[in-house]
Amino acid sequence: MLKNIYFRATLLSISLLLISCDKDDTPVAENEMEVFTKAVIVVTNLTDDSSETYNFEVEEHDHGHDHGVLPQTQDDDDHGDHTVIELKSSSEYKFEISFLNETDPNNIIDMTLAVMEEKDEHLVHYELAGNGIEIESYSGDTIDSNGNAMNLITKWTTSTATEIDVEAYLIHQPTSKTGNTRDDFGGATDVEIEFEAHVE
Amino acid sequence: MPTAFLLLMSVGSNYGQVCSTSFEGNIFSLEQNTPLESAVVEVIGSNMIVTSTASGYFKLEGLCPNSIIKIKISHINCPDYFGEIDLNKSLFENFYLDHKVEELSEIILSDDKINDLSTSSRFFSISELEKERYSDSGLATVLEKISGVNTLSTGNKVAKPVIHGMFGSRVGIIYDGVMLENQQWGQDHAPNLDLNAFDRVRVIKGASVLKYSGSNPGGLIIIDSSPPKINDTITGKTIINSSSNGRGGSIISSITSSRESGTFLRSQFTIKKNGDLSSPNYILSNTGSNEKNISITVGKNYSKSNIKALLSYFNSEIGILKNSHVGNIKDLLRAIESDSPDVINDFSYNINYPNQDNTHYTASLDYNYFFDSDKKLSSKYSFQLNKRKEYDLRIGDFKNIPSLDLNLSTQRINLNYTWSNLFNEFNNGIFFELQENYSNPGTGVKRLIPDYLNTKFGGYFISTFKLNRMLNFGLGFRYEYSSNDVYKYYRNFRWENENYEGRLGKYVINEVLSQKLIRKKVIFNTFSSNAGFFNEFEKKYSLSVQYNYTERSPNIAEMFSGGLHHSLASIEYGDPFLKKEKTHKILFDFEKNDGKFNFRINPYFSYSDDYILAQPAGFEQTIRGAFPVWEYSPISSIFKGVDLDFVYPIKDNIKFKNSVSWVNAKNYDTKEQLINTPPLVVNNEIRIISNNFKKFNAIIEHKFVSKQKLFPNNNTMTIVIESGKKISKVVDISTPPDAYNLFNLNLNWGPYNFVSSNIYFSLSIDNVMNKAYRNYLNRLRFYSDEAGRNVLFQIKIKY
Repeated sequence: MLKNIYFRATLLSISLLLISCDKDDTPVAENEMEVFTKAVIVVTNLTDDSSETYNFEVEEHDHGHDHGVLPQTQDDDDHGDHTVIELKSSSEYKFEISFLNETDPNNIIDMTLAVMEEKDEHLVHYELAGNGIEIESYSGDTIDSNGNAMNLITKWTTSTATEIDVEAYLIHQPTSKTGNTRDDFGGATDVEIEFEAHVE
Repeated sequence: MPTAFLLLMSVGSNYGQVCSTSFEGNIFSLEQNTPLESAVVEVIGSNMIVTSTASGYFKLEGLCPNSIIKIKISHINCPDYFGEIDLNKSLFENFYLDHKVEELSEIILSDDKINDLSTSSRFFSISELEKERYSDSGLATVLEKISGVNTLSTGNKVAKPVIHGMFGSRVGIIYDGVMLENQQWGQDHAPNLDLNAFDRVRVIKGASVLKYSGSNPGGLIIIDSSPPKINDTITGKTIINSSSNGRGGSIISSITSSRESGTFLRSQFTIKKNGDLSSPNYILSNTGSNEKNISITVGKNYSKSNIKALLSYFNSEIGILKNSHVGNIKDLLRAIESDSPDVINDFSYNINYPNQDNTHYTASLDYNYFFDSDKKLSSKYSFQLNKRKEYDLRIGDFKNIPSLDLNLSTQRINLNYTWSNLFNEFNNGIFFELQENYSNPGTGVKRLIPDYLNTKFGGYFISTFKLNRMLNFGLGFRYEYSSNDVYKYYRNFRWENENYEGRLGKYVINEVLSQKLIRKKVIFNTFSSNAGFFNEFEKKYSLSVQYNYTERSPNIAEMFSGGLHHSLASIEYGDPFLKKEKTHKILFDFEKNDGKFNFRINPYFSYSDDYILAQPAGFEQTIRGAFPVWEYSPISSIFKGVDLDFVYPIKDNIKFKNSVSWVNAKNYDTKEQLINTPPLVVNNEIRIISNNFKKFNAIIEHKFVSKQKLFPNNNTMTIVIESGKKISKVVDISTPPDAYNLFNLNLNWGPYNFVSSNIYFSLSIDNVMNKAYRNYLNRLRFYSDEAGRNVLFQIKIKY
C-alpha cells in the first residue's frame, strides 16, 4: 500500500516536472547598449583653423588583487597613458567633445546624439586644477530648454604659459546647471576623463 | 510547554491514591461564546488528561475529595489557561478561553504546542498582535521584534532578515511548507512574501530544520497558517491601516469558510500604497511603493486524508531613493560628505527610476494520508515563479527598459513519511527540485546572474526521542545533490585577468565579440546534520543544547555574478571555483519560566570553513574612473554571540520586557571583523494593561542601537579637484554611523461588538521623537537618514 502510493506520487510528480523543461537553452549574448566606452575631443585652433583629435579610451584592465591590504589605494593615474593637450598662450581654441559606444566594433554608436536628445538631463563640465584658462560655451553648442548650454562645444581662451590638470565630466541629471566645481552640479557621472592642458 | 509552568506552584502529594470524585465542566471561547472542541484539560502534577467533546464538555475522574487541584486547559487557538479548583466547593465549572490574551502573549515564550517541525531546536514566535501591528510593513520589520534578528536593508522598503549575524542564503524562509525561492542575490533583493497571507510566524535561530532545508546556518523563518476548524463557520478579518509618513495605507482582508463536511476555502488579499517617505529633515524622494497580493486556498478533510491547494500572487513595486544612483566613486564621496541628498523633490506618489518590480506566483498541492493515528504520508508539489525587474537611470532608447530582467522558476516535489509513538517520532522524506533562471535578453546590460538549470534531490531522516517527561533528544540528517547547468558569458578581459583559459577553456561553447560563453555543470553534494537535547528541570528551568553541522553549496550569485552596483559604485564578481561552505554551530538556550522574573539566554558559537564573503579585490578602470571590485571569496569565519530576553511584571498590570542581542563575527585567519555585523541592540518595552478598563492596553517601546565599533576597513582613495588643486581623499564606506535611541508608542483598544463582529482600534507612533539617524545595516546609509516619525492608525474587524 505504502509502496504503491509512493510510486504513484513519484510518477505523477516527475511527469509534472518534466512538462515544462525543454526549450532551447543557449542564451544570446547581451551587449552593453547605452554604455560609454570612448570620449573624443577635437581641438581646433580658432586662429589658423588647424585641429587635433584626442581619444580617451579605457583599456580594460584590473589592478590585481589585494585581499587584506588595507586601505586600498587607487593609482593617482586614472587612465594609464596621460593625455596632454598642447595649447598656445593668448589663443582661442574650440573644444568639441563627443561620446561613443564601441562595444560592438561592427556597430559603433554615437552616444552624443542620445545625450543631445536629452539635453535637459545632461551637462558637460570641465574642472581645472589651476588658473589661466577661461572656458565658455561656443557657437554650435546645444542649448537646453531652459537656456543652459550643454558645453559639448566650448571655447578655451588661454593667457600665459601654464600646465593644468583637467577633469572632464558628462553629468547625468545634474541637480543644477550652474556652478564652478563638480560638487555644484550633483547628479551621476556618466563619463569622467582627465588630461593635462599644456599652455606654452 | 514552558507556559505550563508560569503559574505553577507546589503540587499536592495525594495523587498517588485512588479516589473517585469527578470534576466536570464546559469550555467556551470567550469571544464567540461557542464551545471549544479538543481542548486538553490536564491536572498538573498527575498523568490525568482528558479532551473536550464537540460541545466543549469534559470530565475528570478519579480525583480525591476535598482536595485542591491545579488544572491547565490548552487549545490550539488559545493561550493556556491555569486555574486552581477547590473540590470542596465545586464539582462543576464553565471555562472561557480568551483569544484576547493570546494577542498579548510574549514572544519570549516558545510554543511547543505545534510540534510539526520535527526538531529539538527551540523557536520564537511573533504574537498575533505584533504581526497585525506591522501588517502595513514588511516581513523583516516584524521579525526585528525577536532578539538576535536584525534587518539588512536597501532604503526603507527593501529589507531582508539577518539572524545571528548571517543573512541571504544562510537564512531560509519556509512559507506554507516550502522554501521561498525568489531572487536573493544581493542585499537589495528582499523576500517577496506577504506576511498577512499567513497566521503564524516562527523563527528558529541558528539552525536549519532538516525537514525543509539543510543549508541555513543563520536560521529559519517559518510562516504558515493553522488548519481551519471542521465545522460550519465563516470567519474573517479586515485590517485598515493609515500612516502619516508616506501618506500611505493598506487594506488587508481575509475570509475562511469551512464546512462540517471538511471542505474549506480561504482567500486573502492585501493592497498597500505609499508615497515618498520623509526623514525628519527632508523628503526621501522616490521612495513610494505599491503592493498587491492575493491568495486562495481550498481544501478538503477526509477521515483518513486531506488535500489542499494554494494559489498566490504577490507584486511589489518599490521606488529606490533617487540620489542613491551614483555614476562613480566621486559621486559616492560627494554623497558621503553631504548631510542630505542632493535631490529633494516635493512629495509624490509617483515611482520613478530607479525602482524594482517584483512578482511572485505560487501554486501548490498538498496531500496527506493517515494510515493510523500515528503514521502519516505527506506529499507536496509546489511551483514558484519569481519575476524581477530593476530599472535604473538610463539614457536614450533604453530609458524605459529594465537593466535587470530575471525569471526564476522552481518546481519541487516532497514526500514525507512520519511515524510516531508516545515517546518517539520519526520523519523521513525525499525531494526533487528543478530550478531554472532565465534572463530576458534585450536589457542592454550584461547579465548579473547567468542563465542556469539547477537539479536538486535528496533525502532526510529526523528523529526525536522523549527519554522521559523532561528530556527530549533529537537527531537528524539530510543529504542533497545539487547540479547547476550554467551558461555564463565572460568578458574577454575578465577571462584573461583571471587566467580562466586553463581551468574553464574546455567549457567554452561560443565566442562573440569580446565575450566567451561557457557551459559548465557545477555539482555539489551536501550533508547536514544536527543533534541536540532539551531538558526541563525543577519545572521552571529548561536547557536546550544543539549542535548543527551545515553544508551549503554556493549560490549562483556567489559563483557567477558580474555587474555594477550603482548605490555602492562598485563592481561585483562571483568566483566559479568556490567550494561548499561548512559551518559548525553550537547553540545553548537556557530558560527560566516560573514566578515573576522570567528570562531566556541564548549564547551561540559557530565556525565556518570556506565561508563565502564578498571582499574588496582591486579596481577596474572604466570611462567613469576606477571602480572598486568586490569578489566573493572563501574565508574561515567565527561567529559568537548571545541573545538575552527577560520579562518582569512590575505590577499585576504592568510588565517590563527587555531583550539584548550581541554578535561578533571575525575572519578566523586575519582576525578582521566581518562587514555588516549587527551592532549591539537593546529593546525595552513596558506594557500596561488597564485592569478596570479591560479593553485597553498601551505599549511603550525603546530601542537602543549602539555604534558598531568593530568593522573592516574597506575604504578607498580617490583624487578630486578642490580649490583649484588636486587632492587625495578617503572614500569612507566603512565607518558605521552613530548610536541611536528610538521610542515607539502603541495604544490598543478593543474588542468592541459591532454588528456581530469584533472591532479593534490601534494608534501607533513610530520614532516618536522624530530622531534623525542612520543605520549601519542599511546600504543606502551614505545617502540619507532613515524615515522619521510615523503615526499609524489601524482599524481591525474580526468576524
